[in-house]
Amino acid sequence: MLDILMSVLVAGLTTGALYALATVGLSLVWGSMGMLNMAHAAMLTLGGYAAFTATTTLGLPVFAGFAAAILFGAMAGGLLYVLIVRNLLKNDKATFESNVMIATVGIGIALENTILLTYGGQPLKQPLSVDGILKLGPLNLPYQNIVIILVVVVMMAVIALLLGKTRMGRAIRATAQNRDAAQLMGVAVNRVYFQVLVLSGSLAGICGVMVSSMTQLSPPLGNDPMLKAFIMCVVAGLGNLPGAVAAAFGLALLEAFIQYVAGARWGFPSLLFVVIAVLIWRPSGLFGRTQIRRM
Amino acid sequence: MINRRAMLQGVLGAGAAGGALLADLNSRAEAQDATPIAVGAALPMSGFAAADGIEFKNGLDLAAEEINAAGGILGRPVEIHVEDTKEMGADIVSQSMQRLIDRYTAPVIINGYNVGTNMIEMDIAADNDVIMMHYNTLISHNEKFKTDPARYYGSFQGDPPEYWYGPGCLNFLKELAAAGSWKAPNKKIAIIPSANEYSIVIANAIRDKAAEYGFEVSLFETVPFPTNQWGPTLAKLRQDPPAAIIVTHFLPQDLAQFMVQFLAQPTDSLIYMQYGPSLPAFREIGGESVNGVIYSTVVGCLPDDFSKPFREAYRAKFGPSSAYITGSQTYDGLWMWATAAAIAGGPGEPFNKEQAQKIAAVMRRNVYRGVNGTYRADPAGQSAYCYPTQVADPSLGMPHQFLQHQDYKTNPKLIAPPLYATDSFVLPPWIKA
Repeated sequence: MLDILMSVLVAGLTTGALYALATVGLSLVWGSMGMLNMAHAAMLTLGGYAAFTATTTLGLPVFAGFAAAILFGAMAGGLLYVLIVRNLLKNDKATFESNVMIATVGIGIALENTILLTYGGQPLKQPLSVDGILKLGPLNLPYQNIVIILVVVVMMAVIALLLGKTRMGRAIRATAQNRDAAQLMGVAVNRVYFQVLVLSGSLAGICGVMVSSMTQLSPPLGNDPMLKAFIMCVVAGLGNLPGAVAAAFGLALLEAFIQYVAGARWGFPSLLFVVIAVLIWRPSGLFGRTQIRRM
Repeated sequence: MINRRAMLQGVLGAGAAGGALLADLNSRAEAQDATPIAVGAALPMSGFAAADGIEFKNGLDLAAEEINAAGGILGRPVEIHVEDTKEMGADIVSQSMQRLIDRYTAPVIINGYNVGTNMIEMDIAADNDVIMMHYNTLISHNEKFKTDPARYYGSFQGDPPEYWYGPGCLNFLKELAAAGSWKAPNKKIAIIPSANEYSIVIANAIRDKAAEYGFEVSLFETVPFPTNQWGPTLAKLRQDPPAAIIVTHFLPQDLAQFMVQFLAQPTDSLIYMQYGPSLPAFREIGGESVNGVIYSTVVGCLPDDFSKPFREAYRAKFGPSSAYITGSQTYDGLWMWATAAAIAGGPGEPFNKEQAQKIAAVMRRNVYRGVNGTYRADPAGQSAYCYPTQVADPSLGMPHQFLQHQDYKTNPKLIAPPLYATDSFVLPPWIKA
C-alpha cells in the first residue's frame, strides 16, 4: 500500500512542479504589471518546439536545446513588450488591463497557429527527456519526474534570489507595489516591464520543455498548464509569488489524491471547487491582501 | 421541397419519350459542362485534433487528384474546400458546414470526425439536401437516422459505429485465451474510458457484455479528455491487477504516455487500446514502451496488396511520417460518393432533393471495396456493417482490425480478424510467461 501511495505522491509532486513553473511566469507578470498574459500558453509551447528544433533539426547537444528554449521564450517576451505592451501602456491606464488581455489572446492564437503551420499537427516526442527508472526498495521513480522536480526547485531558488537579492529584483518589487511611487523614486518602469516579460518568457520556455518531456509536443501544449496556472494564481492571490508556488504544489497533490480516491474524472472539478470556495470566503486569495499586490 | 429544375424534369418525364430524352439531355449537358464540383469538408485543422484533420484533408486531396486525372465526375473536376472546425462542437461544425454550402454550393460534404456535435451534421445535410459522409464512428448516427429515415436520407457514416468495438474486443480476448495464445491470470478486466461520447459508448458496451464473454469488470475509471498524467489511475491498476487493461481513450500521445508510465511498474495484464496506437505519433512518442500493445480499429487502411498503391502514393505526396491510416477514410469517402454521383447522372447541387436522393440510393445499393475494406450501408442506420461481429461474410462488412505493435521500429502487425490477419499474436514483453 505504501508504494502505491508513494507513487500517487510522486505523480502529485511532479504535476505540482510543472504547475508551479507555469504559475510563477504568469504570476510574475500579473503581480508586477497588472497584466494577464493570455499568450503565456503559446510562449510555453514555443519553448518546447525551440528545444526540439535545436536538438533534432540542428543536431545540437541537450544543453543547447535547453538554452534555445530559454532564448526563444525570452525573445517572445521581449517582442511582446516592444510590439504590444509598450504601445498599450501609452494609452489610458484604466483600460490597460482589459486591452492587454484581449491583445495577448490574439497574439497567443497567432503564435499557436504559426507553430501548427510550421511543424504540423502531429504530436512529436520531446527529445529532451530522460529514460529509465530509479528503484528505491518498493518504489519506482522515473528519472524524468526527478529531473522535473529538481529543475523546478532550482528555478524557484534562482527566481527568489533574483527578486530578493538583486537590483533588478528590487526594482520589480517596487514597481509591483506602486508603479507611480517607483517611477518617482527613479525606477525606469518601462525597463522593468521589459525585464519582467523577458523573465516570464524564459520561464515559459523552460516550462514548455518540462511539460513536453512528460507529455508530447503539440501546438495546444501550453493551454492546459496555462489554465491550471490561472487557477493557482486565483487561489493564491493575484501576483503573490510564494503563495502561487505553495498553491501549485498543494492543489496538484490534492488533485492527485482525489483522482486516486474518488476517480480520475474528479481531479479537475475538485480544483474548480476550490477556486469557487476561495473566491467566496477569501476573494483576494489564500495569501493575497485586498488591493495590495505583493511579489 | 421541389425546385424549378426538378419541376421541369418532372414535366419532361411525363411525356411519351420524356424519360429517354431527359437522360440523353442530361448526359450531354453533363459532358459539356466542365464547371468544377465543390466538395466540402468541415475538418479540425487546428486545435487538439489538428493532426487528424490534416490527414483527412490529405486523403481528400489525393482522391480529388486521382478522380480528376480519371476525367472527373462526368467530365467535371472536383475541387476541395475546407472549413476549420477548430475545437469542434455542434455550433462550430454546423456553421462550418453551412458556410461550405452557402459559399461554394457544395452538393456533398465529406468530413473526417468531429467530436461533441450531437450529430448536428445530419440536420445540416437534411435541411440543405446535400449528401454528407463522415467518420465520427458513433452509434448516435444510427439512432438519429432511425428517428426519421426520410429526412436523413443523405447522411452516411463511412464506418461501423463505435458500439461494435465492445463485443468485438471481448470476442477477441476470449478467442485468444481459447486458442492458448494467452493465459489469463484471472477473469478481471479494467476499463478506462475518457470523458467523450466515443470512448464512453465503447467502454459501456464492453462493461455490459463482459459477463457474456466470461469476464468481470474490476475497474471502470473515466479519465479527463485529453489526459497525460496517469499516476493515480495506474496506482489503482497496480493495487488490483486485472488480466486485461482496456483503454478506450484514443489520443495517441496520451496512450503513449500511459505505456511509458505503466512500464515503470507493470502488471501481468494484456493491454488493449483504442484507435490512437494506429497513428505514427504513438510509436514516435512511446518508443520501445509500445511493444506488445494491442489495438483495434473498425476503419483504417488495410496492409494488403489492394491498398498498396494508395499507401505509396500517400507517403510520396505527404511525407514518410504522414498517417495514411487516417487519410484513407476520407479518401474512400470521396471515391465512393464520386462513383455514386456519376452513376446517378451528376452531383446535383444544394436543395436538389431529387438528385441527392438518387445519389443516396446508389450509395445504399452499392457495395464498395475501398482501401479500408468493404463499405456496405446497414439500412437500419446507414453506417457500414462490421465484420466479423455484425456480419459473418467478410465481403459484406468492414473488417474490425486487431493489430499489435511487435517492434516499434516497424509497422504494427494485423493479427485478426480471420482472412485478413497477416501475423500471429505475440505475448507482450512485460508479461511473465
